[in-house]
Amino acid sequence: MQQSQWMEVYKNTLTMILAGGRGERLYPLTQSRSKPAVPFGGLYRIIDFTLSNCINSGFRKIYLLTQYKSQSLDEHIRKGWNLFSAELGEFIYAVPPQQRYRDRWYSGTADAIFQNLNLLDQHKPKYVIILSGDHIYKMDYSKMLAFHVENEADVTVSTIPVSLNEARRFGVCQIDANRRIIGFQEKAQNPAQIPDKPGWCLGSMGVYIFNTTTLAREVSRDAKRDSDHDFGKNIIPSILNKQRVFAHEFEDINGKPAPYWRDIGTLESYFQTAIDLVNVNPEFNLYDNSWPIRTYIEPLPPAKTVWRGQERQGQIIESMVAGGTIVSGGTVTRCLLGPGVRINSYSNLEECILFNNVDIGRNCRLRRVIIDKGVRIPANTVIGFNPEEDKKRFVVTENGVIAVPKGYVF
Amino acid sequence: MTNSTDRKLLIVDDEPNLRLLYEAEFKSMGYDVTLAEDGPTALKMLDETKPDLVILDIRMPGMDGIEALSEILSKDNQLPVIINSAYSHYKENFMSWSADAYVVKSSNLDELKQKVEELIDRKKDTP
Repeated sequence: MQQSQWMEVYKNTLTMILAGGRGERLYPLTQSRSKPAVPFGGLYRIIDFTLSNCINSGFRKIYLLTQYKSQSLDEHIRKGWNLFSAELGEFIYAVPPQQRYRDRWYSGTADAIFQNLNLLDQHKPKYVIILSGDHIYKMDYSKMLAFHVENEADVTVSTIPVSLNEARRFGVCQIDANRRIIGFQEKAQNPAQIPDKPGWCLGSMGVYIFNTTTLAREVSRDAKRDSDHDFGKNIIPSILNKQRVFAHEFEDINGKPAPYWRDIGTLESYFQTAIDLVNVNPEFNLYDNSWPIRTYIEPLPPAKTVWRGQERQGQIIESMVAGGTIVSGGTVTRCLLGPGVRINSYSNLEECILFNNVDIGRNCRLRRVIIDKGVRIPANTVIGFNPEEDKKRFVVTENGVIAVPKGYVF
Repeated sequence: MTNSTDRKLLIVDDEPNLRLLYEAEFKSMGYDVTLAEDGPTALKMLDETKPDLVILDIRMPGMDGIEALSEILSKDNQLPVIINSAYSHYKENFMSWSADAYVVKSSNLDELKQKVEELIDRKKDTP
């Protein structure tokens, strides 16, 4: 494709991010916010990864379709992502349900687009990129769009190899030699495996590119059917025979041996994915300047440790610490500390994830605890050493990860 | 032979003469016809008369046909709707694509009648 043609393609592409995920299995982190707004990695929100991918790929016309408990997400977008030039036709808008269909939330991914067809009418783009605001990965969507255009596809689905076991949670594609999709099953018990890679399936990442007319037609048809109104379950399987539907292989730019793409579904996987970041060689590389992950950063002073001595010493070991945080005479090991955190003297934290402004009193012992924003842990508190006691007060996962919710009063 | 009580039409148009014309034509074909002069009335009629098909004008004062179409869909997404407008350009409006047919108004009602028959038959075939 020539440069000028490519510019036309870019100009005629609109991005819609489905950012209404309730994230029920992430409760209590999703008690007061939607899944895309859940803090992650000390500084970020889950949505920042998808938005950074958009910016880094050059797509700057973005609608975020929100629904439940969207205030936290709205605020984050306003504060952290106000970097678009309306004069250049760029924007990011968080769109709550129009409720054109009275009293109704979106009943599925396709319904979310259907209920916002007015936005497509307004812009009349040629292509629409549909993304989920729930995932952590690095992806250059422009490569997928080039693939879509070159193949004269109606729809392109981004795919990643997933193990047979995992594949039961995904949509799984079968493709021909030209990567045209010839079969698609959503959350099947026995999904088809990749022919030359037994034990593996080609999973859909929930990343789609549609020609706009195909999209509008198919979601309108789907609205008239009794269906789950879901792209994976209903739309993709129903159009394989009539439309040119292609699978684009996810090209990871994370630079690690295995492609990295995570849909953080549970508290347990949230904890594992986040704590992995403190490793010497984590699976996900946040420190790659060629693909910056943006977020809102409060103007806070640098993180600091205070006190030095035998008993009372501020120490940060194998941890990530955001600005404004003071570790004062306590020790944190393999922890993620958000902005404005206080760790007071003689306290010891191991594998803990602390969101903004958490305050840990003196003499606390905490292990494998996720603590939501603003919680004050009183002096002498012990969490993570007695599962029976912990279960009486908190959500505790099978592997003993404990979540202390926002607003919890000791 | 279809029982006429199985064939109820709701015709929504703000033009009184057109409503009367449609009423006469479709009644003569054996349809049970209800008329509404605007969107809100149409939505009320929908609940009261439970029609088998709706013929919907687009350009109406207050709630337009596109908005009414959305409301109708939220009440019953299986109910066939024919958009019947004097203008063809609403066809390009994605929000009109959830209608089952789009018929541009004409002095000859054949196309409209044909679509009505077709959609009512199709509805009968699907349990």
